[in-house]
Amino acid sequence: MNPSPIHDSSEQLRMTVYASLMAAFIAAGAYIAVPIGPVPVVLQNMFVLLAGLLLGWRWAAAAVGVYLLAGICGLPVFAGGTGGVGRLVGPTGGYLIGYLPAAAVVGWMSERRDNNRVLDVLGLIAGTMVVYLCGVFWLKMATGMSIGKSLALGMYPFLPGDGLKIIAAAAIAGAVRPMIRKPGKVAHSHGYS
Amino acid sequence: MAELTAFRYHPGASILHRVDPRFKLGCLIIASMGALNGDAAALGLWSIASAALFAEMRMPLMTVARELRYFALLILLVVLARTLTAAGEPLIRFWGVALTRQGLIEGALAGWRLGLVVMLGLLFMAATRTWQVKSAVESLLKPVPFIPHKRIAAMMGLLLRFIPLILSTARDTADAQRARGIENRRNPVFRLIKLAVPLLRKTFLDADRLATAMDARCYTESRSTQPLFARGGDWAFLGAVCGLSFLALSLPCF
Repeated sequence: MNPSPIHDSSEQLRMTVYASLMAAFIAAGAYIAVPIGPVPVVLQNMFVLLAGLLLGWRWAAAAVGVYLLAGICGLPVFAGGTGGVGRLVGPTGGYLIGYLPAAAVVGWMSERRDNNRVLDVLGLIAGTMVVYLCGVFWLKMATGMSIGKSLALGMYPFLPGDGLKIIAAAAIAGAVRPMIRKPGKVAHSHGYS
Repeated sequence: MAELTAFRYHPGASILHRVDPRFKLGCLIIASMGALNGDAAALGLWSIASAALFAEMRMPLMTVARELRYFALLILLVVLARTLTAAGEPLIRFWGVALTRQGLIEGALAGWRLGLVVMLGLLFMAATRTWQVKSAVESLLKPVPFIPHKRIAAMMGLLLRFIPLILSTARDTADAQRARGIENRRNPVFRLIKLAVPLLRKTFLDADRLATAMDARCYTESRSTQPLFARGGDWAFLGAVCGLSFLALSLPCF
């Protein structure tokens, strides 16, 4: 049976609220830290990847897009309570812009098959690589550093933390996904197959 | 865990409170760009203008400063990183690290720029209600083709409302985990999962309830929003910010 227009608009509304929530998680993620060894690691990029896993590519891209737009408008949603176009065109702007394709890539891969942990992890790795591809390339262009120095400053130190975040994100998605009511799906279904 | 709660609406009737939110948003974009690209003279000019607006708004500055202490720490880290990595004529050497004159100047400017951008965001948020931000975004995006401007504006309004909820839930969850001895667990993945799963579950349940409540009240994107009307004062404010921007650009560098 096809869903009625009313049912369809309700689902659209629910997904709009979910995507806004994930956008807020991405903004707040810069201030939620968990100690990994002696270093506190912020969870912002993990929430970007989780948006892809939990919402699918379209709504994840919408969530990241709204987050970036809020930042571009000058609202204090970027790390350090800053905002504005200047942050996007600055040396670290590539990482922020990279969040958009990264969330979409993770979402697209996780949508290939429902609750498949292998695909989720592959998607998370691909998404993380997309963030670094955009971020390091931008860092190199903005600062004129060599590619080796850009990688040494903008990627290598963060890889151990990202590895742990990928493992955690796959487990978190498995625990949270069953309670999310996505269009055409019933909430509180089984977790991973 | 730092706070974003300083970035909330403070009721008042100041000049900034009375300016049309669309103009405020436009001015915030202009001022943020000016602050991030300006030299010391331009930063000084923008800082004086911001301080004047703060004084006129009569915000509880000590409370705001206390709430922003974590941002101050972040800015300090940026200043230190810039100070210690810039090449130039060394002033002091310690533990193999040279503190240069150029580094000190670059570090101070970087800290000033970031601090000013934070202050500008704070001014905007303190003088603008969430529905005004939503209306302003909707109005500014309306001329852009193929963009669902009403939905994007609604999402931005929801984003601003969800941030304090997430931060307070994260704080409560972290406290509850600490009370259960999470600090004794060394496995970072375990700690991450134990923080994130309850946090996401609780906030998604809240979001679910919100969506149901909005649906029950027949929320649609086609509903009319509160109209915004530009007055002479709004144009004068925009003109003043543009004038300040030109003045900042024309000031000699030093």
